[in-house]
Amino acid sequence: MFDRILIANRGEIALRVIRTAREMGIETVAVCSDWDQKALHTRMAHVAVPLGGNLPGESYLRVDKILDAARKTGAQAIHPGYGFLSENANFARAVRDAGLAWIGPPPEAIEAMGDKIKSRRRMKDAGVPVVPGLVDPVDDAAAAKAAAKPIGYPIALKAAAGGGGKGIRIVRDEAGMDSAFRTASGEAKASFGDGRIYLERYLDRPRHIEVQLLFDHKGNGVHYGVRECSIQRRHQKLLEECPSVVIDDKTREAMGEVALKAGRAVGYQNAGTVEFLWSNGEFYFLEMNTRLQVEHPVTEMVTGTDLVREQIRVAAGEPLGYGQEKVRWNGWAIEIRINAEDPRNKFLPSIGTIKNLRMPGGPFVRLDLGMYRGMEVGPNYDPMLGKLIVWGATRDEAIARCSRALQELNVGGVRTSCPAALSVLQDPRFQKGDFDTHFLESMDLSTTPPEHDGVVAVAAAIARHHQQRRTALKTSAADRDAWVARSRAGVQAPLVRVSTPGGGA
Amino acid sequence: MKYHITVDGRPHEVEVVERLGELVVSLDGKAFDARYLEVDDLGQVVILHEGKSYGLSIEGDANQKYVTLAGHVRDVRIEDEREKAARAAERARNKGGGAVLAVMPGVVVEVLVQKGKRVQKGEPLLVLSAMKMQNEIAAPVDGVVVDVHVAAGQAVAGGAKLATLKADETA
Repeated sequence: MFDRILIANRGEIALRVIRTAREMGIETVAVCSDWDQKALHTRMAHVAVPLGGNLPGESYLRVDKILDAARKTGAQAIHPGYGFLSENANFARAVRDAGLAWIGPPPEAIEAMGDKIKSRRRMKDAGVPVVPGLVDPVDDAAAAKAAAKPIGYPIALKAAAGGGGKGIRIVRDEAGMDSAFRTASGEAKASFGDGRIYLERYLDRPRHIEVQLLFDHKGNGVHYGVRECSIQRRHQKLLEECPSVVIDDKTREAMGEVALKAGRAVGYQNAGTVEFLWSNGEFYFLEMNTRLQVEHPVTEMVTGTDLVREQIRVAAGEPLGYGQEKVRWNGWAIEIRINAEDPRNKFLPSIGTIKNLRMPGGPFVRLDLGMYRGMEVGPNYDPMLGKLIVWGATRDEAIARCSRALQELNVGGVRTSCPAALSVLQDPRFQKGDFDTHFLESMDLSTTPPEHDGVVAVAAAIARHHQQRRTALKTSAADRDAWVARSRAGVQAPLVRVSTPGGGA
Repeated sequence: MKYHITVDGRPHEVEVVERLGELVVSLDGKAFDARYLEVDDLGQVVILHEGKSYGLSIEGDANQKYVTLAGHVRDVRIEDEREKAARAAERARNKGGGAVLAVMPGVVVEVLVQKGKRVQKGEPLLVLSAMKMQNEIAAPVDGVVVDVHVAAGQAVAGGAKLATLKADETA
């Protein structure tokens, strides 16, 4: 087993890995940008190495600096977290070439799954069902319009090199193609340096169901069942649950088998997730995420497994040591992403300093947070501040617990996605399990129920009254300056008098 | 002091008067009996009203506050008589047009309109990239682009003027 590992990431996921490593008796090395020198992951690791800079390109994306930090601190392995370099095959290769262990899949598997088009062809060949409408990528709107005709609207535009919801647009009809293509292609170019877009048929009432996989280095694999991530906006997930109301045990096993087949087809190792679109009882391969995912905790809560521990174990060369029959599911878990964004304003990022922070607690409530009081939320990084995860014996219990915990939580100083998540949990359609990936976009999040308006209006008025009273009582800078000036004059006055010939009485 | 307040756009009037060191409050013309206690200096507040307790979080400045109660955040705007009159005059001048501001700091990716162009409400004016996402900034009203203040590739601060529109006269 490793003595010391480096975590090439920031925020809650860096902390997540540090916590498990500490529990395993492994020392941790954090890396940080200048912006993150006071961040939680920097403080909680055994060793922190400043990378300099504020932008990801100057810090968390710098392969040379990170490998240098690993060498200097004697780290034996690197955990990439998610985002940043986690799905960068060249980084994985560089880590291995430097004689370090890579806590992730082989670079060849990352490459095979990284190109959405090639991966789908490969999956089709391996006998994994894929979404209809696969064509070659196009690089302008006119070509997209021509390609869309045989597939039929609505059409999903996706970045050929994409991920994480960047460069994805849904086009309802031909008139919407120009605008959608421009922004999708621009975003793809800015995020991935590749503006090519491919098209596929957008499925009716689709649900996003994904399967968690884990393979050791010998290729022994198990699936950890499904998660449902249909509550999303512009393909950015907001709420995830494990398992799913539409997946019974038989379907879970069928999807698990298909996912394992997909993983084996690319020689997968370590943890990974196969994403499916589920529609009317059928499921299609969407993509494979060759890393640990943001929403992995819901699977951990339901299966009682620390997936990061399993990742580290198999990366150190330990065999999985168990088969599919050992994986058991108990109860229900829900995760809420706490993003610094404003659900009232198209979920646009919100920046500020986190001040008024009130945390939830109680039974079966887990907080994986990167945020802390005093943290400055800037525009340079992903807006995710952390995650709230709850477990319940049943889905109803998990929903009630999650709502309760969200009502206890307050994140002041920035707007967050939490009120939107609470609205989802309180919606009868969600509670019944009647939703799809369009659900969140269809919700009216512009207002709140008026029942507590009176108390709220009075509280705001009294708060302003007190604020103004305090301001009025506080000595202003001008008052202070005048006072200092007077006191100086007081001290100097006798001197003046003494030194003035003929002065005084 | 009388305050004109909207809670998520719903109007209310609250009067707060200090009498013998006690606050006397009325809501929409009716006496509102409440105890208001500050838990800390960050914005945690308790209100006791008609036997019920409300744990609130209040953030924001004098005119705009965000009040969180039971997980839902209300957008609360507060004006006294003088501020209300000043804003009404301002609104009458602009008729819904005026400057289109950047809602967050970012980089202008592409400008889609030029000075003098007629635009319809909802028509994209430019594309702004922030936090790795590209967002179209749309015209808030039907009108004419009077000026474009930014160019492609330019970094803008939150609240920066992007373009100025003159709204169409409506009857």
